[in-house]
Amino acid sequence: MPLVGTRELAAFDSGPLLTEPEGERWELPGCSILQVMYEIDASAVTSLLPPALHPTVPPTVVLTITNVPESPAGAFAMAEARIACRSGARPRGLLIGGFCSTEQAAKMLAARWGYPMKVGDVQLAKRYDRVVGKVEAGGSTVLETTLLNPEPIAGNDIQYLASLNVAKIRRDGATLPRLVQVDPDYVFRSADRGKPELSAFDAPAFGLAGAIPVWPVSASHCVADITMPELRYLVDPARPPLTSVEQL
Amino acid sequence: MKFGIFYEISVPRPWGPTTEYEVYQNCLEQARLADELGFDQVWAVEHHFLEEYSHCSAPEIFLTAVAMQTKNIRIGRGIVVCVPQFNNPIKAAEVAATMDLVSGGRLEFGTGRSATWTELGGFGADPDETKKTWDEWTRIIPKMWTQERFGYEGRAFSMPQRTILPKPLQKPHPPMWVAVTSPGTELDAADRGMGSLGLTFGGFKEQEKKIAEYRRRIKYCDPVGSFVNEQVNTVNFLMCHPDLQYGAKAGQRLAGTFNYMAEQLLAARQAYPTRSYPNLGLLPALRREATSSPEGQIPEGLAIGNPDRIVEVIKNWESVGVDRINFLLNAAETIPQQEVLDSMRLFAKEVMPKFADKKSPVAAGTAAGGD
Repeated sequence: MPLVGTRELAAFDSGPLLTEPEGERWELPGCSILQVMYEIDASAVTSLLPPALHPTVPPTVVLTITNVPESPAGAFAMAEARIACRSGARPRGLLIGGFCSTEQAAKMLAARWGYPMKVGDVQLAKRYDRVVGKVEAGGSTVLETTLLNPEPIAGNDIQYLASLNVAKIRRDGATLPRLVQVDPDYVFRSADRGKPELSAFDAPAFGLAGAIPVWPVSASHCVADITMPELRYLVDPARPPLTSVEQL
Repeated sequence: MKFGIFYEISVPRPWGPTTEYEVYQNCLEQARLADELGFDQVWAVEHHFLEEYSHCSAPEIFLTAVAMQTKNIRIGRGIVVCVPQFNNPIKAAEVAATMDLVSGGRLEFGTGRSATWTELGGFGADPDETKKTWDEWTRIIPKMWTQERFGYEGRAFSMPQRTILPKPLQKPHPPMWVAVTSPGTELDAADRGMGSLGLTFGGFKEQEKKIAEYRRRIKYCDPVGSFVNEQVNTVNFLMCHPDLQYGAKAGQRLAGTFNYMAEQLLAARQAYPTRSYPNLGLLPALRREATSSPEGQIPEGLAIGNPDRIVEVIKNWESVGVDRINFLLNAAETIPQQEVLDSMRLFAKEVMPKFADKKSPVAAGTAAGGD
């Protein structure tokens, strides 16, 4: 059967506490999303994932920078580096750590959807010849990635992975590590694709020590209205893939 | 109705020194038995890098071995990836002609373009280009077989005049097919006068509509080859057992394993934003059918269970216009080899006679619309 993750479970104890899992949906109009995919060195891939998840063949990291002009937390930008994986047979992206431009948004995203965000300077700049995403934190650039030579495509040609956010839940008086499944809806206004470039990626800063990008796959940018969804499913990182999914 | 077997050649982990050898030997044993039992065709895919799901990267070699160990069964190259980073059209024509010669004129020639980033990225192929190169190759390969000297100036391929050798035994050339996974490719097949190698599936009603449209369109086709190969060939799972529940349960385990392994791969569409791949490749509709039924129910279109149930399923496929069904017999060796062989024997004894074809076998040049 397919490979499964071998990462120590302590790595999944670091997420935020999901305190408001039944809050309101968020409607986020006019978001700008840069997504860049790279294949990563295959030798480390199982050490990035918990026993509940399979790596994809080939293993990939998905870098996403989203600029949100308006939200219940005000305007913010966020950056994610996720390992593409499979929860059983379903495509997912594991998010262990990311960056958010405001503390307010980071706190609200953590409480409502379990996003494990630190505060950093997250920038997304769209020009006619390129789209550039950059994250600075702790005095250094932890991510800089570019879509070069954008060409228009249909928004529906872009596939976004549902996230599995490393978080904690309270159940029967105990605090338990869980991966929170977040699967936003997108209504596209415009979309482009282009050549991916990656000039800085500090994998440990995203909780992905050992994830070494080795081969460019794709880059896309879109403007879309995002609906942040109701939560329904969790994954117990410690259990085997076929028995790890739980209802919230 | 004709029946065949279809190989992805999936090899489960853990991989020992002889695991691949054992799986290949099992497949060869099944192919020999299929020939003895009167199955009409054996198909093998071309896939690369698809860990566990398919270790069948040199199907021309496997199928040649099958041909050397069998007498009557037709051998289906299913499919040649018509993408220049994977193959060269001259070499594809030469290899196919040689297979046809050594098999005594038993080759069926499938064409396609790959559906995963795992493969396209591995070969450095541009996903936007694959449909175009497939279209170009399907028009030139039959000419390489039939023209004494062939020269060509095209968009993605050109060559000066040369004599491409050998020529196939079947005249004018082997039947040509298109692997159909994306919606609409069955119409591409019809417009080009090619057989629909139906890696698609879907419910009976959906398939009936697609087949009717294929049959309507192919009447007005501009054939890429020297004759029209109007046939609809689908893929299914086979687990035939005297006990309905046992057969259904084992068959669902087979289908579930197949689906699970396929999902671990990276479909072209999941990695690269392109209109060229509207579907999540690798038999997506078959996999959807295998997993869509409510718990406890047997998926309606799958040939699993006991002979009576399988006869009913196949009658339904026959009624919507399917000409051939190819069966996946195993996935990751989840069914023990003896049970696979027993399933084939029971199918041949109890099911095949109900569909005995009064027509003579289809050969090159004699299919509907042929010269």
